[in-house]
Amino acid sequence: MPDWIDTVIRSFIFLAALFFMTKILGKKQISELSFFEYISGITIGSIAGEAITGLENSIIQGLLSIAIFILITLLVDYLALKSKTVRNLVDGRGTVLIKDGKVLEENLKKEKYTIDELSALLRQKDIYRVADVEFAVLEPRGTLSALLKKEHRPITPKDLQLKVPNEKEPQTIIMDGQVVDEALRSAGKSRGWLHTELAKLDLTLDNVFIGQVDSYGELSVDIYDDKMQVPSPAQRPLLLATLKKTQADLEIFSLETQDEVSKAMYKKNAKLMQETIDKLTPYLTS
Amino acid sequence: MTIASSVKQCLANMKGIEAQLSSLYLNSLDPEAKGLFHESMLTISSVKKDLQNRVLELERHEPQYKS
Repeated sequence: MPDWIDTVIRSFIFLAALFFMTKILGKKQISELSFFEYISGITIGSIAGEAITGLENSIIQGLLSIAIFILITLLVDYLALKSKTVRNLVDGRGTVLIKDGKVLEENLKKEKYTIDELSALLRQKDIYRVADVEFAVLEPRGTLSALLKKEHRPITPKDLQLKVPNEKEPQTIIMDGQVVDEALRSAGKSRGWLHTELAKLDLTLDNVFIGQVDSYGELSVDIYDDKMQVPSPAQRPLLLATLKKTQADLEIFSLETQDEVSKAMYKKNAKLMQETIDKLTPYLTS
Repeated sequence: MTIASSVKQCLANMKGIEAQLSSLYLNSLDPEAKGLFHESMLTISSVKKDLQNRVLELERHEPQYKS
C-alpha cells in the first residue's frame, strides 16, 4: 500500500474520531474556559496531527491516547461539577486586578502582568482611563472582565426610570419561502393566520425570503424583490394615534356641552382615556 | 357637523379601538402585555357604553339629526 493512501485513510479516521470525541466533550471544550481544557485541546490536536502524518506510528496508539485525554477531561469536568476544591484547582480562579478603583499591584505581580499589558487589556474593552474602572478581574482564561464606575456605565431605561415593555424573542417563521412549523408553533400561530397576514401584504409564500413574528404577533417580512416596498407593521402606532384623537374629542365635548350631567360624564371618561393612554404608550410605541 | 354626528364618529372610533385592543390581546405573547391590553379593552368598552347612552339622549333631544 503506497504511503499516500495510508495518509488519506488516517486523515479520515482521525477527523471522524476528533469530531465525535469533541462532540462528547461539548461546547465547554470549544470555549476553552479553563486552562485544563486549553491544554487538552492543544494536546489532542497535536496527537491527531502526529498520528496522521507520522506513518510509522500505529493508528491504534494515536486513537488510544486521544481517548485517554478525552476521558480524563470528562472525568475532571465531572469532578469539578461536584466539588469546589477540584474546581479551584483545575479551572483556576480569577485574579482581582482592580478593586474599588485601585490597581492591586501585588496581584498584578503575581500574575506577571505589566502595567502596559493591563492597559492593553483594558483598551480592548474600550477603557482608556484606569480611573474609570471600579472592579476588574483577570479570568482563568486570560481575558479581563471590567466593571465601570456607575457614572461611566451606559445609560439604561432603569436609570431614566422609564417603563419598557417586556419583549419575547422574535420567531423566524419563514425561511427561503418555506414555513418553519416549529417556530410557528412557538409563536402560537397557525398556517391559516400566516396566509391571511401574507394576503394582507399582497404577497405569496414563495416571494418571502425571511419572515419574522414579534411578541405582539406582528409579521415583518423581507422579500426577494428588493425593489418592491413592503409596508412595515403600523397597527400599534396608529392605534395610539386613534386613542389620542378620541381622548381629545371627549375633552372637546365636555367643554362644548351645556348639560351638567353629560359634562361630568365626558370629563370622567376623558380622564379614564388619558390613564389608559399613559399605560399603553410604552407598549404601542416600540 | 352637529354634535350628534361628532359624538357618533367618536363612538365609531371607540369601537375600532376596542376591536384592535382585543386583537392585540389575542396576538400578544407576553402575559403582562396581554393583561394590559385586556384591561384597557374593558376601560374602553365602559367609555363606549357611556357614549352610546349619550348618543341616544342626543337623538331624543334632536330628532332631526337621527340617522
